[in-house]
Amino acid sequence: MPVLIAALMLYARFKKIETYNVFVKGAKGSVNLVLDIFPFIVAIMVMVALMRASGITDMLIDILAPIFNALGIPTEVSELVLLRPFTGSGSYAILKDIYTTYGVDTYVGRCASVIMGTSETLFYVATVYFSQTSVKKLSYAIPLALVCNIFGTVIACLVCRIL
Amino acid sequence: MNKIWALLMLASIILLIFTNPSALVTEMTESAMGVINLCVELVAVYAIWLGILEIVDKTGLSEKLAKLLSPLIRFLFKTNDPEIIKMIAMNMSSNILGVGNAATPCGIKAMKLMDDKSGKATPAMIMLLVVNATSIQLLPTTTIGLRTAAGSVSPTDIMIPTLVATFITAVFGISLTLLIQRVFKRRKKKSLFPTI
Repeated sequence: MPVLIAALMLYARFKKIETYNVFVKGAKGSVNLVLDIFPFIVAIMVMVALMRASGITDMLIDILAPIFNALGIPTEVSELVLLRPFTGSGSYAILKDIYTTYGVDTYVGRCASVIMGTSETLFYVATVYFSQTSVKKLSYAIPLALVCNIFGTVIACLVCRIL
Repeated sequence: MNKIWALLMLASIILLIFTNPSALVTEMTESAMGVINLCVELVAVYAIWLGILEIVDKTGLSEKLAKLLSPLIRFLFKTNDPEIIKMIAMNMSSNILGVGNAATPCGIKAMKLMDDKSGKATPAMIMLLVVNATSIQLLPTTTIGLRTAAGSVSPTDIMIPTLVATFITAVFGISLTLLIQRVFKRRKKKSLFPTI
């Protein structure tokens, strides 16, 4: 990534672009963008916090663990799989926990690492992406993307067993 | 989204009323305050990436990228709008390179441009969500960083498995979406021209 950015800066200079002015112009949009998506993130994060505090998260993990096991997903990563769709920073915290508890280079550690790639903070992305549109009805978008994420998790566990 | 949110909120609140009612407001306030911290971070991170993206755009590199990816984007999103193609091209390539923070602003802009003001998610919008949810990952930067911090013997050991697994997932996600959209289209046609 650093090399790419350096190459970009050089290329922009070569093309005689006023990089400073252009950068500032782009960066300006950041505050408004974050202000616009702020309420949507609050709604998601409040929900995640309440789910954790009320114990619903733990209950869901208990219910889903046998299903996950049947799909070849180890129990050790089920909390990660469950919370990953909701929160990016939260799932990275869980990933760190998994590394310290089960080791980075073990099957569980590698499996959790690959799951981070194949799954996405789906509810977060969906709320933020649709926040600037008129869309109120997502129709089958969420279930479909969830199915893809679960498929990705199963594949991640499978690939880690082979490679 | 409305249904899921209402359901999970209600279930959590009802459970909390029985177990720990005083925690409710504190938890809500604390998590919202956490979002403030997150947003302050995001303002900084997006400022950097939006600045860099603007430079990418000015150099004409985004047009080149769009041209390169346009056959795929045209096929998946059924669009000819050059601005939409450009935004989706930047969104996809940022995701593949593991810069999710650059992908998000592009994704938001693409969604805005694809909006037909009907209040319903169009097939192209759903496709963009799936493409983002199942993106191929060439450089899982954050994960590699965390593995290094956790003292892994070979932090980059997961790059090939991640690439293979994300590639399979992306193919699966896109095919499933195309399949569903085909079925929906056929059903709509049938209802428009009922037999007898």
